[in-house]
Amino acid sequence: MITVHAKFHSHFKELAATGEDSFVIEITTVSEFAKCICDKYGSRMRAMLIDPKTNELNERGTMFVNEKGMRVSAEDILEDGETITFLVGIAGG
Amino acid sequence: MSFVPQKELVTGVERHPLDADVPNVIEKLFALKNQCTECNVCEVACSLVHSPDGTVNPQYARLKIDHAPDKASRVNPDGLGFIAEICHHCGNPPPCAEVCPTEAFYYDPKTKAAVIEQDNCIQCMECVPGCPFDAVFIAPSGELLKCDLCGGDPVCVKACAARPEMLNQGKQYVRLPVLFYSEQAEFNKEHKQVPEKTDEVGMMQAMLEAGTISSPA
Amino acid sequence: MESRLLRVDLTTGELKSEVIPHSIFERWIGGSGINNWIMWEHFLTHDINCDPRGPDNIFVFGVGPLAGTGAGSGIKGRITFKSPCYNMFGDSAGGGKFPYMLRFTAFEYIAITGKSPKPVYLRICNNEVSLEDASHLWGKDTLQTHTMLREELGTYPSKVHTLSISQAGENQVGIASVVSDALRIHARCGGGAVMGSKNLKAIAVQGNGGLPIAMPDEMLAWSDDFRQKIDSNEAVYGFKRRGTLGAVEMYQHIGSHFWRNNQGNMFRGGEITSDNWVNKYHKYSEVCSSDCFIACDAKYKIDGTESEAAKKYIGESFRRPEYLTTGSAAGALDVRDWAEVAHWGKITNDYGIDNQDLSCAISFLMELKQRKLITDQDVVELFGREQSLEWGNMDDIEACLHSIVFQKDLFGKLFGDGPYLGAIRYSELKGQNFMKYATYGKGGASFTEEMRPFPTWMNNMAVASRGADHLKGIGLIEKFQRKDLSKIYFDGRTEAADLTVPTLKGASTALIENQVALLNSYGVCLFHWMLDPAGYTPQDYYGKAYAAATGIDRTPDELMLDGARICNLEKAFNSRIGMRREHDTVCERWMWEPTEEGMYPGSVAADMFNPVLDEYYEWRGWDKESGLQTRKSLEACGLDDVAEVLAQEGSLAK
Repeated sequence: MITVHAKFHSHFKELAATGEDSFVIEITTVSEFAKCICDKYGSRMRAMLIDPKTNELNERGTMFVNEKGMRVSAEDILEDGETITFLVGIAGG
Repeated sequence: MSFVPQKELVTGVERHPLDADVPNVIEKLFALKNQCTECNVCEVACSLVHSPDGTVNPQYARLKIDHAPDKASRVNPDGLGFIAEICHHCGNPPPCAEVCPTEAFYYDPKTKAAVIEQDNCIQCMECVPGCPFDAVFIAPSGELLKCDLCGGDPVCVKACAARPEMLNQGKQYVRLPVLFYSEQAEFNKEHKQVPEKTDEVGMMQAMLEAGTISSPA
Repeated sequence: MESRLLRVDLTTGELKSEVIPHSIFERWIGGSGINNWIMWEHFLTHDINCDPRGPDNIFVFGVGPLAGTGAGSGIKGRITFKSPCYNMFGDSAGGGKFPYMLRFTAFEYIAITGKSPKPVYLRICNNEVSLEDASHLWGKDTLQTHTMLREELGTYPSKVHTLSISQAGENQVGIASVVSDALRIHARCGGGAVMGSKNLKAIAVQGNGGLPIAMPDEMLAWSDDFRQKIDSNEAVYGFKRRGTLGAVEMYQHIGSHFWRNNQGNMFRGGEITSDNWVNKYHKYSEVCSSDCFIACDAKYKIDGTESEAAKKYIGESFRRPEYLTTGSAAGALDVRDWAEVAHWGKITNDYGIDNQDLSCAISFLMELKQRKLITDQDVVELFGREQSLEWGNMDDIEACLHSIVFQKDLFGKLFGDGPYLGAIRYSELKGQNFMKYATYGKGGASFTEEMRPFPTWMNNMAVASRGADHLKGIGLIEKFQRKDLSKIYFDGRTEAADLTVPTLKGASTALIENQVALLNSYGVCLFHWMLDPAGYTPQDYYGKAYAAATGIDRTPDELMLDGARICNLEKAFNSRIGMRREHDTVCERWMWEPTEEGMYPGSVAADMFNPVLDEYYEWRGWDKESGLQTRKSLEACGLDDVAEVLAQEGSLAK
C-alpha cells in the first residue's frame, strides 16, 4: 500500500472540484491510480483520463506529469508519496 | 455564387390541404435564448439540406441567429447574447398560413408542420408580417422560407454545436445545447427552470449546482 | 472547383475579376497555399527586394475551401504579403466573420497592389466592387471604423463585415495588424502597415450568394461524424470553457511562461497564475468565427468588482484574453491583474497592434531600465517625458503603445518594427550592445512562451518562414511528450516525444509544418486538430472533408506532399530575398542563457540547436550548409518551375 498525491489543474480541477487529493493504492501503477481517480470522481473524469477506445490513459488534450515534468504512462510504477499532476495539453494562442 | 430554387423536405407522399382537420405539431423546435454562440452551423446546414444542388447560403436558411443586445434576460442581464429566430409551429392552421391568399401551405402528414408549396406561392409576402415571431424569411431569390422540420429530422438540431442527444445519456455535455426538437412538456421539464444567477459563482455554476448541466460551460 | 480572384490596382483604380481554375486548387489546395502562389507570381514580374511599404508590394486575402461549408472547424482567413517589419515572407491568419461573409460574395481571394492617391476602402457586395472614399475613416481606430462602416452600409443584402486598420496601420508602423470586425486580429508580420502604405483603410463585405459544395451528402455526413468525435472528446469541453487560457496553469506548472522578457518562466502574483479568470469575468460565449463546433471564445464585461484595477475599466467589454494576450501581458510585462490583462487585449486589438511584438519591445526596454543600463535621462529622450518603466505598470505600458501607434516620439520610431530591429537601432544609437536582452528568432519577435527546454519549439522559432513563429510547426509531440503521436508519425519510434535528445525534433518540425500548411490552406482553425492530432489528421480525416467540399480526392500521402509544396514555396520566397542558414537562428538569451526555474532548469537552446536544425534540413531535403533548397527537393514536390527561378538568381543549393 502506498500513498500517491494528485494535483488537478484547469479542467481537471473543475471535474474534481478540488485542486489536490491523495489516494492509497495497492497496485502501484499509474493505470491503477487513474482508476481510483475515475472511481471517485465519476464518468466525466473517466472520459478525460481514459481513452474509451484503447482503455489506456487518454492522450488527447491532456498532460500527466510526475515531479520531474516527465509524462507518465499507464504502466509506470509509482513510489510512495509521489505526486502526479494532471494538466490540460493546450499550446499556442 | 449562385441563387437557386429551394426544395422542401417532407416525408409523406400524400399531403393534407390547409383546410383539413390536422392536429397541432407535437414535436417542435425550441431554442434557449441567449445561450447561442452564433456559430451559424445551423444556418449553414439548413441551407445546404434545402438546396437541390448542394449550395450553402445562410440567406436561404429557415432560421436566423441574431444578436440581441437589447434583449436582456434573467440569465443574461448584460444582454450580450444571441437568439435563434425559429419557427414556433403555432397551432394548426398557423397564422402565416391563414393569411395566405393562394393557399400555398399544406401539412406534412408526418410532422403535421405547415409547409409552403413553392409552386403555388406568388411571393406576395403576406405571411412575413403574418408570423408573430418573424420566422418566415425572404430568400435572395424572392422565395418565402418557412421551417418544414426537415420531414421530422431537423438538421439544425443535429448541427447545433451542443448535442441534444447527449442530454439523454447521463448528461455528458457541458455546453447547453441551444436548439431542441421535442414535445413542449418535455422541454419545459428539462429546460424551463433556469435557476437564478448567483453573485458568487455565475450563471453556469448555478445551473451546475441545480443539476441542469453537469459542468459549467 | 473554381473560384474567383479580385485584382485591385490602387494606383489606377482598376478592378478586375479573374477565375482561379481547378488546376490551381489541384496544386495549391486553397487558402494560404493559393495566397502564396498569387504572391509568388506577382514577384516574378515585380522586384522581390522592393520596399514592403512601397506600391510594388502585394496584399493578398484568401479564404480556404472548407470555410463555411458546415465542416465545423472554424474559419480562418489569411493575409499574405511581404512583411514590412521583418522584410521577408509575411502572412497572418485571423478569424471573425469577415472571411465567412466573403465566401458568400463572388470572390474568395483578393489581391491588392499599387498605392491609392487618397484614403479609400474597398467595398464588395456580391459581385459589385468599388473603391470608396475613406477620408472620414482616416484617423479612426478599428472599432470606430467598423462601427461607422456598419452604419453606413446598412444590413442589405447582408450584415456588413469588415477588415480594417487603425492609426498604427495608417502610420505604417511595422507591427501594425489588420483586424476583422474589430474583434479578431490578423496580428503577425505587419499587414496593417502594408494596407496603410497603400492608403487602404478597410475592406467591407456583404454577400447573399451561394456556395456550391461538390458532394453535399458526403459533406453533411462528414460533419455529423466530426461533431460526434468532438463530443466524445472530454478535453474539448475544457477547451470550450477556457480556450487557450487553459494553458496558463499547465505552463505555470512546468515553467513555460515568458516572464519579464523571459528572465523567468513562471507568472508571479496570486490570481494570474490560474485560469479561474473564467469564473469571475466570463459572461457569455461567442465563437470567434462561424462554422465552429467548439466556440472557445467568450466575452467579458467588467463591472468593477472583480479586482482593484478593474475599477479603472468599468463597463469595458471585449472578448476574453487568450493565451498570447495573457502571455504577453502577465508574462512579458508582468501585469498581475486579470482586468488589466483583459484591457491589454482590448487596446492592442482596437489599435490593431501585434501584442507579441509590442510586448517584446516594451519588455526589452523595461529590462534595460531594471538593469540600470539606461537612465531616467535616456527614458526622457525616448518618450519626451519621464516614465517609471516599472514592470507591470499599466500606465507606462499604455504610453508605450501610444508611442508606437502614433509615432510621435523616438521610442515609437525605433521600435515600430518590433524588438529585433528596435534593439539593433537602439544599440547603434547608444553605442552599446543591448542585443543580449532582445528576444527574437529569425528576426521575428518571440512568441511569449519559454522555449529553451523544448528543442522542437526552438527549431520552430528559427526556421518559420515568417520569423519566430509557433503556428507554422507547432511542437505538439514534444511539449506534451506524446509518445503515441511520435510512434504514429515515425514508424514506432518514440524519440520525438523525449525532451532530452535532439533526435526526430527537426523531423517533427518539418512534418507538422506540412500538416499545418494543409489546415491553413483548407481555411480552418488549428485548434480542432490540436485537440486530437492523431484523430483529426489534416491529410487523412480533413482530406475527406476537402474532397467533399471541392471534389478533389487525394490520398493522405498526396496531401502531405501538397503541404510540403506550400512550405517549400514560402522558403523559396525567403531564399530569393537572400535568407540562408545563418538567418535560421534565435536570440542570444535563448541560445546561451540557461533557464533558472520551472521543471526544466538549466536548459539552453545551444544544447541541441544545431543537430536539430541539421535534421530539419535533412528531412526537407535542403542543403545543410547554405540552408538552401536543392533542385531535387523542389522537383520531388513538383516545383520544377520554382527551382528554375531560384537557379537563375543563385538561390538554389549548388
